[in-house]
Amino acid sequence: MRGIREHELNGIIEVNRKACKGCDSCKTFCPTSAITGKYGATHQINSEKCIFCGQCLVNCPFGAPRDTVDSLDNVISRLNDNRATVIAIIAPAVRVAIAEEFGLEPGTLVTEKLYGALKQAGFKVFDNNFSADQTIMEEGSELIAKIRHYMLGESSEHHLGALPQFTSCCPAWIRNVELNYPELIPNLSSAKSPLMMAGAVAKTYGASQIWAVQPETLYVVGVMPCTAKKFEVSRPEFTSAADYWQKQGGTEHYPDVDTVLTTRDLARLFRKLNIDFNKVSEFTDNNNPFAQYSGAGTIFGNTGGVMEAALRTAYFVITGQELAPLELTPIRGLKGIKEATLPLKDVKTGKDITLNIAVVHGIKENLKPIVDQVIAGKSPYHFIEVMNCPGGCINGGGQPINPMGTSWIDKYKAMLPWS
Amino acid sequence: MASYDYIEKTVKVSRREFLGVLGVGAAVLWTGAYVATDLIQDRTKYIKMRTASLYRDDFKATVRQSHNNSSLNKMYKSFAGEPLSPLSEELFHTKYIDRTKLGGMS
Amino acid sequence: MAHNEIETRVLKHSLPSRLFHWCLILGFLPAAITGFILWLKLGNETFINLAMRIHIVGAIIFTSAVIIYTVCCLNLVIAFMRRIFSWDSRDLGWILIGGGYPQKMFLGKKITVPPMGKINSGQKIFGICLLFSGLILMASGWILYAFIPVSPKLFIYWSNRIHLVFGIFMGLFVFVHIFLGIYNWGEFKTMFGNGTQPLDEAKDHNPVWVEHEIEPVQNTKSNTKVLVQ
Repeated sequence: MRGIREHELNGIIEVNRKACKGCDSCKTFCPTSAITGKYGATHQINSEKCIFCGQCLVNCPFGAPRDTVDSLDNVISRLNDNRATVIAIIAPAVRVAIAEEFGLEPGTLVTEKLYGALKQAGFKVFDNNFSADQTIMEEGSELIAKIRHYMLGESSEHHLGALPQFTSCCPAWIRNVELNYPELIPNLSSAKSPLMMAGAVAKTYGASQIWAVQPETLYVVGVMPCTAKKFEVSRPEFTSAADYWQKQGGTEHYPDVDTVLTTRDLARLFRKLNIDFNKVSEFTDNNNPFAQYSGAGTIFGNTGGVMEAALRTAYFVITGQELAPLELTPIRGLKGIKEATLPLKDVKTGKDITLNIAVVHGIKENLKPIVDQVIAGKSPYHFIEVMNCPGGCINGGGQPINPMGTSWIDKYKAMLPWS
Repeated sequence: MASYDYIEKTVKVSRREFLGVLGVGAAVLWTGAYVATDLIQDRTKYIKMRTASLYRDDFKATVRQSHNNSSLNKMYKSFAGEPLSPLSEELFHTKYIDRTKLGGMS
Repeated sequence: MAHNEIETRVLKHSLPSRLFHWCLILGFLPAAITGFILWLKLGNETFINLAMRIHIVGAIIFTSAVIIYTVCCLNLVIAFMRRIFSWDSRDLGWILIGGGYPQKMFLGKKITVPPMGKINSGQKIFGICLLFSGLILMASGWILYAFIPVSPKLFIYWSNRIHLVFGIFMGLFVFVHIFLGIYNWGEFKTMFGNGTQPLDEAKDHNPVWVEHEIEPVQNTKSNTKVLVQ
């Protein structure tokens, strides 16, 4: 099948034919026009084009698109298996959304409760915010190397991609580039997404130095606000940890991250295990090195968050001083395309540079102008953050579905639905 | 041409009825407009609540920059070396594929 | 009313009312039929899509007719509303014997019923249902047509539910309406003809209306009658 490789998950989002009213609502949210079916008739999703972002699923008034990948039973059997160490990698956006599944106010921050509930379920916590920080170190260093090379004329020992650099955290965006804008691949940061870094760290450093277990006994579960992550972990190249151990005599094959649960899936898991989320005791997990994270890591879940976190570090590395104030308000908020410029004085050479950055989210509406500029070679930017979903990961396709709907930012509809 | 000997007496709309119709019409329009503006103002409410919560998590954090995450720095020190080191490249970086060139099942 | 009553006619449905009725037929019947096709998803994609387009065209005709009629013939709308909302003891009596219809249909005998105005008690009930269901159907339908991506999901979900329930209700309603319309053949001829009805037939069905709400046509009309005869 075009667009899908062997071993990659396929058809993650499908339309329930019984529930579909043919209202075309999903089409107005689908960034890749993967949904077919005429107005009034039952719709289908073309898996070759689908980037599995789940925006149709979150926004359908009739709940017709569904997430077909359910690994709950696998996870539970691993939790019950004494030989397995089950790791939960929890994304930033999960901690502000899962409370909704248990009747709490939307946006309630429940990090400690989540740690507690995961502990009660038998997971060891690996906070993805740790890896978000790591992503900033890798992706930020890559950006800084590009700045030093292309803007300050320094030679580079690394193989560097092109400027502007695109963020690579969002798996739907990555798949979108690979499917529709392959000419932008050199512009994508080569850094893995935080989840895949976390998987690689867990099964190498984590296994040997933190938990002291055999890496093949680790079962790593990503808990993500995202349906596209289910696709990402099935990409065949993500076996870095197994490759690493094979060089040291290991023989086993295993993926870096074994499976992904969405925020909704995790809530179902807690219910299935009879864990009352509201009564669970809080757990700070202070001694867990993977539960230590910075404020920069946690804002990854918001649109503009990766950019803000990266700039805090890039500013420090280039100028030698901490950015103050840390809040970059121009790239916060729900405006479709956000831009900012950041003047920097290089501490090494004393040269002045101006960093132009852009943040794009809700790519159905907002991506095209930015991408067209880059393809035409006329982009004024150096670093561009792209998140598929409107608002960023906090509004991802794996998040609790709010019955009043959440993500119709700047929506309109042609007056004639069939036009 | 129709032919008839009797016709219905002309119905006169009383002032009260006319005002009643106007009133009901205005009430329906006003309520509709009120509900619509309310809904439009609320449409990003839940996204904003989640967003604000993450920014609060950042604001109350003692460490607010990735390069100051001591636990992460320890990982680099004792394992991967530094960002973009050969081991970091191997474990933490990836390559992308051009999916337009994928044929059938490869 | 002294002369030959067989030849005496009364204008029961004025031209605007008959035109409005035609628009409702042209609007509602296609919309109702396609509505059931859409609900049950009968046929292939192209056919359902066609049904949807017809459904919307029907809705446009239906809605514009309602709006235009209300604006241009407000007095007729008011008269209709006065009639459907005025109830007294005669209506109770009428409903208790089902307007004499069961006896006529199943036992073949005609019984005396309480005297009715232009609209009998059964029609009053139907009228009230028509008024509210029609408005709800129109409102929910247009919400579903134009406001899906810009409305909260729960709102759309319930609009759809309401549209479906009232659509089915109105579909059955129209079925009964057509049946009774044809059963009362005189009424059928009046509505689809020139709107006139022999006075004695009107007297039989709508005695109160004939007594209080009609008046003789002035001057030239009697000549016309002779000519037509």
